[in-house]
Amino acid sequence: MSRREQILSTLRSTPALPTPAIRVVQLVQDPEVDIRELTEAIRYDPSLTAMVLRLANSPYFGAARSIGSVQEAVMRLGTNRLFRVLMASAVAPLAQLAVRGYDLAPGKLLEHAVGVAVAVERLAASLPKRAPNYAFTAALLHDIGKIAMGSHVRIDAKPIMDLAFRQNLSFEAAEREALGIDHAEAGAVLLELWNLPPHLVEAVRCHHEPDKAESDTLVVDLIHAADSLCLLAGIGSGADGTHYRPTAGVLSRLRLGTKLGERVVCEVASSLEDLTDLLTVSTGDELKCH
Amino acid sequence: MRVGIGGNNVSGQTGSLAVTHTVGISNMQTTGRPNDVLVTYSLGSCIGLTLLDPVAGVGAMLHCMLPLSKIDKAKADRNPFMFTDTGVPAMLQAVFDMGAERRRLIAKVGGAASLLDEKGLFRIGERNYTVLRKILWKNNILIAAEDVGGTVARTMYLYMRTGQTVIRSRGKETEL
Repeated sequence: MSRREQILSTLRSTPALPTPAIRVVQLVQDPEVDIRELTEAIRYDPSLTAMVLRLANSPYFGAARSIGSVQEAVMRLGTNRLFRVLMASAVAPLAQLAVRGYDLAPGKLLEHAVGVAVAVERLAASLPKRAPNYAFTAALLHDIGKIAMGSHVRIDAKPIMDLAFRQNLSFEAAEREALGIDHAEAGAVLLELWNLPPHLVEAVRCHHEPDKAESDTLVVDLIHAADSLCLLAGIGSGADGTHYRPTAGVLSRLRLGTKLGERVVCEVASSLEDLTDLLTVSTGDELKCH
Repeated sequence: MRVGIGGNNVSGQTGSLAVTHTVGISNMQTTGRPNDVLVTYSLGSCIGLTLLDPVAGVGAMLHCMLPLSKIDKAKADRNPFMFTDTGVPAMLQAVFDMGAERRRLIAKVGGAASLLDEKGLFRIGERNYTVLRKILWKNNILIAAEDVGGTVARTMYLYMRTGQTVIRSRGKETEL
């Protein structure tokens, strides 16, 4: 079996990634909970978003059409079912917050995912055309493949980075060279297994190679540009550093240069400060996840 | 901003506590304690700057993100350490207030990385570094050592006990 086939087989046996949904559980346990606040708390948590979308799209809930956003999922599930889903995901084994293979300390992947999601919203706001709602979801999930590759397949990014330097490859190209698959495709494979909508899968699959996207290039462009900015600014970066190549066509389509890039980075940094409360779990709960 | 590793870790015996202070993104920390360690993680295009006056026993570390505060003056007023042009002067003032002297200050720099960006699409790191040099030059401070540019994420340490500034990137540690 090739390395790629081995990895694909491991991915197929990877369960939906649970998360310490402590904050959400705290909200759910409040009888006066505001459903909008709850939706917000889910939206900023990539693993939880994946879980909720996966369940909302599962045959059990009789999904007639694909659900691509948390708001739709909340409506489809209804408050009671949503609460059960959230509670179940909280008591399920807690997600390893650190992604060792990529040298991501606890909290870093989350910081990156939220940073990219916020950057996507800010970049979209600068455009005349409205971006679809699922852009935010896709941004949150864009690196979900790193969790699977780093924690389940247990790849080590360091020799891949060495290969990238030796052969003058971008990091994800070196992943393909070494493993036969990169973290973007691995993420797409997982999302496909979880029956998420194809356009969302496509956006995750193509986030480092936006010119390969066949549909909805706006979302792919937004994620690619937002990811480039967050990696550059060190927002949740790991062993792969800034070793990625931005695509010129994307930046010109989004009319994005250094100036707008700096403004977006500034806004993302401030939003991350504001979002800290929403994302923070107490230290005791955090320790349990290590 | 919270960072993944760290917070303040205390180790060692009572009486000679070595305390590690994590300097978050858009933040600065000074110290006058001989056993302190200052550390900052995830330096991409950001600037990491350490200042040390070995005679006064005063050290500081800055992690600033963006070159110029004019993109958001209100933010710079609330937190000057987000920007290089406001963060460096505020840092200098802070170490002077603690008794450091300009002529003794040792300045070391890490960060200012870029993407694999042959076309120069985003020049944030480069601009950060240019602004930094200009401000230090205006203040008559030379850069004693640096590890800047490239496509790596860096972690930067300042060990007050030895006065060393150390950069960790791609699994290797190098003293500046």
